[in-house]
Amino acid sequence: MTAWLAPDSLEEALDLRAERGAEATVLAGGTFLGILMNQGFLVPDTLLSLGRIPALDGIEVVDGELRLGAMATHRAVERSAAVREGWPVLARAFSLVASPRVRNQATVGGVMADADYASDPPAVLAALGARVVLRSARGERAVGVGDLIQGYYETCIAEDELLVQVRVPPSPGRAVYRKFRSRSSEDRPCVAVAAVRGAAGLRVVVGAVAERPQELPDVCALADTSLPDFELAAEIGRRYSEGIEPMSDSRGSAGYRRKVIAAEVRRAVEALA
Amino acid sequence: MRLVHYSQDAGLDGMWHAAFVRSPVPHGRVCSVDVSALPPDCVALLPQDTAALGRYGCQLKDQRVLADPARFVGDIVAAVAAPTRSRARAAAQAVGVDFDELPAVFDPLAAVAEGAPLLHPESGASAQDKVSIGVRPLPGTNVCHRFRLFNGDVESGFAASAVVVEETFRTASAQHAPMEPHATVARWTEDGRLEVTTGTQTPFNLRDDLAGALGLEPERVRVIAPPMGGSFGAKTFTRLEAIVACLARKAGRPVQAVLDRGEEFVTLNRHPAVVRVRIGAEPDGTLVAKQLDCWADTGAYADCGPGVATKMGYAGVGPYRIPHVRVDALAVYTNLPPNGAFRGYGATQSVWASERAMDLLAERLDMSPLELRRRNLLRDGDRFATGEVMRDVHFEECLQSAADAVDYEDDPRGKGLCVLLKGMQTPSRAAISVERTPVGYVIRSASCEMGQGIRDSLRLQGAALLGCEPGQIEVPDPDTDSSPFDTRTTSSRSTYMMGRALADAVRDLEAGGGERGYGEIANEGGLDPDTGQGIASTHWHQGAAAAQVRVDEDTGRVTVERLHAAVYAGRVVDRAGAELQNEGSMIMGLGTALLESIEHADGQITNANLSDYSVPALGDVPAEMTHELIERDGAEVHGLGETALPPVPAAIGNALASLGVGLAELPMTAERVLEALEARDRQAAGAAV
Repeated sequence: MTAWLAPDSLEEALDLRAERGAEATVLAGGTFLGILMNQGFLVPDTLLSLGRIPALDGIEVVDGELRLGAMATHRAVERSAAVREGWPVLARAFSLVASPRVRNQATVGGVMADADYASDPPAVLAALGARVVLRSARGERAVGVGDLIQGYYETCIAEDELLVQVRVPPSPGRAVYRKFRSRSSEDRPCVAVAAVRGAAGLRVVVGAVAERPQELPDVCALADTSLPDFELAAEIGRRYSEGIEPMSDSRGSAGYRRKVIAAEVRRAVEALA
Repeated sequence: MRLVHYSQDAGLDGMWHAAFVRSPVPHGRVCSVDVSALPPDCVALLPQDTAALGRYGCQLKDQRVLADPARFVGDIVAAVAAPTRSRARAAAQAVGVDFDELPAVFDPLAAVAEGAPLLHPESGASAQDKVSIGVRPLPGTNVCHRFRLFNGDVESGFAASAVVVEETFRTASAQHAPMEPHATVARWTEDGRLEVTTGTQTPFNLRDDLAGALGLEPERVRVIAPPMGGSFGAKTFTRLEAIVACLARKAGRPVQAVLDRGEEFVTLNRHPAVVRVRIGAEPDGTLVAKQLDCWADTGAYADCGPGVATKMGYAGVGPYRIPHVRVDALAVYTNLPPNGAFRGYGATQSVWASERAMDLLAERLDMSPLELRRRNLLRDGDRFATGEVMRDVHFEECLQSAADAVDYEDDPRGKGLCVLLKGMQTPSRAAISVERTPVGYVIRSASCEMGQGIRDSLRLQGAALLGCEPGQIEVPDPDTDSSPFDTRTTSSRSTYMMGRALADAVRDLEAGGGERGYGEIANEGGLDPDTGQGIASTHWHQGAAAAQVRVDEDTGRVTVERLHAAVYAGRVVDRAGAELQNEGSMIMGLGTALLESIEHADGQITNANLSDYSVPALGDVPAEMTHELIERDGAEVHGLGETALPPVPAAIGNALASLGVGLAELPMTAERVLEALEARDRQAAGAAV
């Protein structure tokens, strides 16, 4: 039988985490773990639920920075007035995940800590320069999405750490998230493209095509010297398509993904022009 | 609000829960079963417990209660019962089974090739389905049934044709994906009777199958069929019932089994099929000859694969006058989970092929696909390829309704049509009883409720006949102890057949003093499996569909902007119910057309969940989805539970073909569409050079 731990405070949760380490599987909304457990891929000895910890689900803006609590649901992010006003691209990306029933349950912390290649939020959070806050009894550190996600379902989260917050810097001028579904409207992306253009230039992150979100800074730098136009957008799309090694799954083969990356990156960059 | 008790809710005192030990290999003899690690307080059903029992199967008796050899990944080789579901599952995992692996085959064409591993080397002995077609296994092969149809002389027909086109089409396997999984409870009474409460569309077939396997008189088996939370063909014939009955007998207490979603994908799926069509016509489009070769992959057990192959064969002829026809349809064993009844029942696969072929022919003739169809449609009094004379024929109205819905005649680009005929279970028998009660009437029948609305349909028809309110009529769950015999709740036959039996019962009630009446209807016929001649159906389901599509030329993603189905209803009994049947059929057709495919690697299903297996969501329903129920004054009721599904894939495929995007394989995924777009553009570039 799986044991159930449900601490009432973050401190208690961090103590349990330090004590139990990997033996206790951290549970947030359960939309991912539930599938793994139902399919028998995961049979945890112990579940460490964060559901009773108050104030982990906050959404607030502090000094222009958006702070999403780990237990904030996708639906809460999608509907938050602050997010919709300051980071509309983020509200949109979260609104495109699965169905309302799933979004009411799935959390910000869960989707980032799962590091599932086929989720929507990682690419857009990476493009926005978000950092995730990892806390343990030892202290706290903040890492970028690119450092957090290290491979298929692999993160840099230590055995005594909990992902407690996602911090998103002030939104750059223009941003777009394109979710390409090859199948049902409630499916996960076959190719996800997040593109932003701000003071630091163009950032294009492609999600759902490889073990972690893909960003090619050298290719984005092509936009430093000229404003993106249709020709440049096509060129960036081509180079992303050539520069990424996509994977095959039930949503599309690697070869197909390459073609879609070219089209969808081009369209995303065009939308910023 | 009415509280519904499903089979899953049928908790009995002292009931235990079942879990299954499934084969991890696609084909292998069971060498040994190790139960030394079994926890206490559970009961295991092992090969030695069932070795002496009989075989079962609805059309060929090729199944045993526990499989040995296992013939697909997921085949049940042992089972356990324990006080809770989770303990049963843990116990099932503690059973160790060693297999001696045998060679396996996963493709119907490979399975009929010389030297293919045989799944049932001993089969082919007996055709058992008394109420259905004769079964024609080819001994010493994996062919468990061959259906052939001959009309005219097809070779001279092709020789006389000005234009002949040929193409091979494929349809993927699909899951029914009902909301409620398979659920079964079995208990043995003190006097040794077996009582099974189960989600089933076929209570009497199940009763007889169980009796045969367990060596009981049919009357010693009672099957109760509560409403199902959807079925679509999944809950037909014997599924878990024999195993659960044996577990209950060994445990000495009632036992329940409820499958999880992953297990649904190894319980019953739709036949993947390969259909080769060859069709010839005169220059003006008059059809001369048609040849259809079908390979229906029925998986590890025949189930109703012979029936599916037969229907695939004759439905593929299409609703056309064709002087020379030859059909050769095979149901073929492979080492995949069994495939069986699925809304559309064989017509889906062959209508896709034959109606795509009609558009290929129209293109070759440089003729409108609508005009080509019109010119050849069957009309009242015409003879079908089976020799039967067609009556009450409405294909042209169905086709016109479809064409008008998408303004096909104004501009056919991006639009596609499909017209079909689909038969009903023939021969079959339906009986029903009516009894007066202090507040109204009780109508007893074995027609099973699976969300299609048969209870409402019987209440409405009963109220009209008896002159009372529908609410005064009680319709108990089918029960083989008290419900009169019915062949089964399949092939869109219940409202039509039971409705007529009910009228007969009400006449009997009125003639006999008003207390009790009994009615029975039989439709006679059937096809000779060696010639395809006879009565395929006493009652034809007639329909058509039209689609209008938009294609993203960079990604191949298809958006269906308009979808319309027209179904001949004759006379609508329950309008809301009939509309839902059409809409449900169309949405399932959309899934078959664009999304759904059960994938496997080395016989292991790789997408056995509703995240990796994609069914249509609300957002996938076309912005404009319409349908028409065509009625005629004084007409007979026509079944319509499936008719709007089979024409949807070909309507969409033909809409794509009108844009130069020709596909021969379902589903038409974005990736396949993009490949076809690239082929079109390469061809255009080649032509330009």
